[in-house]
Amino acid sequence: MSGHDFHPLIKQLLDGDVTLADLPAELHAEGEAALRLLAAVDRTDVSMPAVTWRVMAALERRRRRFLPWLLAPAFAIAAALVIWLRPGTPPPSAALVTVRFVLVAPEARQVSLAGTFNQWDPQATPLVRAGTTDVWTATLTLPAGQHQYAFVVDGARWVPDPGAPAVDDGFGRRNSVLTL
Amino acid sequence: MIALVAIPLTLLSMQQAGRGVIAQRLAGRVSPQIASLVEELGAAAAARGLPIDPLIQKAIEGNAKGVPPERVATALRLVAMQLDTAAAALRDGGGGLVSDTLAIAAGEFAITAGLSRSDITALARTGANAAALTVGLRVAGTLAALGVPPAEDIGLVSVALRSGEPASSLLLLPANVQSEMAKGVTPAQAAAGLARAAAAQARHGPPPGHGGGHPHPPAPPHP
Repeated sequence: MSGHDFHPLIKQLLDGDVTLADLPAELHAEGEAALRLLAAVDRTDVSMPAVTWRVMAALERRRRRFLPWLLAPAFAIAAALVIWLRPGTPPPSAALVTVRFVLVAPEARQVSLAGTFNQWDPQATPLVRAGTTDVWTATLTLPAGQHQYAFVVDGARWVPDPGAPAVDDGFGRRNSVLTL
Repeated sequence: MIALVAIPLTLLSMQQAGRGVIAQRLAGRVSPQIASLVEELGAAAAARGLPIDPLIQKAIEGNAKGVPPERVATALRLVAMQLDTAAAALRDGGGGLVSDTLAIAAGEFAITAGLSRSDITALARTGANAAALTVGLRVAGTLAALGVPPAEDIGLVSVALRSGEPASSLLLLPANVQSEMAKGVTPAQAAAGLARAAAAQARHGPPPGHGGGHPHPPAPPHP
């Protein structure tokens, strides 16, 4: 249409300044043709801004649809790393406390200490007899926190510390408790 | 869509990671049957944000003591249940403490020692931070193990937590109760007397010459 030059009255008609009835009779045919052309242009919905908006909206919908698929593995890996690292994380208070354990065991040939601090290993922490007495002792440096333990007499008999509070061990015996 | 995909993937990853840690720590220490049960219970616990160490320790303890596997399995399920109860009790107490695994483990110990879910919630409601509450729960459990009834136990530890006593002072409470018991009073009377003294001190300040902190470390069981 850029090469077409309308009559000034036709231009006013297209602008809505005048009606078809206002035009002189010789311009009626041209005016009707111009209005048909204008109506055809108005019905066409292929303007570039519209196309751009629709394409972008579709892309946005697709992006939203695929975002969870992209985030889910990343979230899962991050959570797994947190869980994996947590057991190895040292407690905030890593203070150490020296504790002396004592058991009077007249008939014992061997006494040891087993508890949460040595993976309940009866061989790990033997007590030493004090001279020729019946007193067995061991001195340990333990991290601050809660510990449960028992003496193991002659490798077989699990004995709670008579001088310490004790709780049910869930197996029908008692564990001594040490809170540091 | 996010819930359908992310949650199962996350739970799966967490369970696999938890199983790996547990298998590593139990290797050569327990029977395959018990190891499998601990992996199952531990993975489920880890996925709920619960600590797995009490489960691992109980399995190792049972094996070291020569306990039959069926009895170890029963004890393990009890520990798992108590961890859930402790976490729920902390959740009831508010303050976001339920995410602290040390506090949950301390709560589980307190339950083992004879305290209830409501006792743990009462301590959580003192407003203490996670570190102080963890120590408070351990001390409360230790007092229960000494025979202090729950009412006097929670009363004493609550007063200490509310007055902002340092951990070193909280840790002295069991020894102080034992000291009073050695004079002939009952555990309940000992704890109630200490609670009254602590409350009075919180109202009026420390006695002369006792300003603020406690310089002495907690007494070992056999000094």
